[in-house]
Amino acid sequence: MARVIRRPMQRGAIFALAVGVALSLTAPVQGQDQDDGHGITGSWERWPGQSGGLGSSANPPPVNPAAGRIPDPPLKPAYLEPWRAEQSEIQRLTAEGLPPANNYSACIGDGMPAMMQAMFPMEILETEGQVTIIQEAYNQVRRIYFDGELPAPEDAEPRFAGHSLGRWEGDTLVVETVGIKDYVLFRNVPHSPQMRIVERIRLVADDVLENEVTITDPEYLTGPWTWTWAYRRWPGYRIQEYVCENNRYFRDPEQGYQRLRVE
Amino acid sequence: MRIRIAPLLPLLLLAVPLTGSAHHSFAPYEPDRQIAFSGVVTDFQWTNPHIYIEIDVAEGGGEVRHWLIECANTTILNRVGWKWNMIKPGDEIAVIVSPLRNGEPAALLKRVRLADGTEFGNGGPAGPATIGFDGQPLATESR
Repeated sequence: MARVIRRPMQRGAIFALAVGVALSLTAPVQGQDQDDGHGITGSWERWPGQSGGLGSSANPPPVNPAAGRIPDPPLKPAYLEPWRAEQSEIQRLTAEGLPPANNYSACIGDGMPAMMQAMFPMEILETEGQVTIIQEAYNQVRRIYFDGELPAPEDAEPRFAGHSLGRWEGDTLVVETVGIKDYVLFRNVPHSPQMRIVERIRLVADDVLENEVTITDPEYLTGPWTWTWAYRRWPGYRIQEYVCENNRYFRDPEQGYQRLRVE
Repeated sequence: MRIRIAPLLPLLLLAVPLTGSAHHSFAPYEPDRQIAFSGVVTDFQWTNPHIYIEIDVAEGGGEVRHWLIECANTTILNRVGWKWNMIKPGDEIAVIVSPLRNGEPAALLKRVRLADGTEFGNGGPAGPATIGFDGQPLATESR
């Protein structure tokens, strides 16, 4: 699997690069000391799979029965009942064929943390000082940097993927994320600028990656909200293009539900 | 492709982002009713967030009804063997669909048979066909 390693350009670097390219044409790149990374580069699908486990079916890897089981958010009492009422209303309307419009209805992608549920396959690229995660749906990209500091919550430019700082603790990639837009919601759970997402990502088998997600938000939550997502390696899968160019959905201006433009 | 839906139902009901095609709820379509018909393709939109087939369907008395057929998206259907140019205007195709509940002439594809006889399902999230192209119930679901 090809890996991209970025290095600071230095005097003589071009010559070294030329030699390196020449060598790389004749020598395998695997097994090179510090450039081996942590084995997370490649394509992954949600496991158990939403994509149907098309990656390889001969030897399915172990399934963590807890993966994907997401508890209700530990919202403070003032927010919990309204949230439950809204969830019930969404269920009722959906059962009637009138699902409320959401960000998807406007061709707006998940943002964090929902993009890590891996609706479609995702690609992880580990390069020097950075891990990049590309989710096929909506061409979503997040960049996790290993240097610098996270912005203070009140100072963080609100984004879909937020601002992410990573570090390795042994074989575990720990990522802290802040700065999520207020209308980028996971399971319709409200959040404040104080929301912090901590992910602990590690290989639990050769081809299985687990991501333990913990959300804290002192304004809305009574304590941490934690669950685990698991992903299965999909060797050779090439992430496809996804541009939301033909959106026939729209929000009914009076009723608020998702409709389809038929004509 | 087979996805066991039953154990996931409570989860699906709770989480809008996980339902249907994983972007958009398919709830506006009839959940339990499927129909089959044939028609002539007027447009094939290989696009996201969904692919659409537009077809003219002859009805009794010389009337033609124009239908919009919603399919999954390009990435799902590439993964199950569709190709961007496998349907062209002028092709006669047969479809098994669930129509919109509100009576508008649009429907969610379950299965399509192309002019050359090749058949395709619509990916896992759209669900299986429960009838055949003859409109009769199937003994086993067809994806």
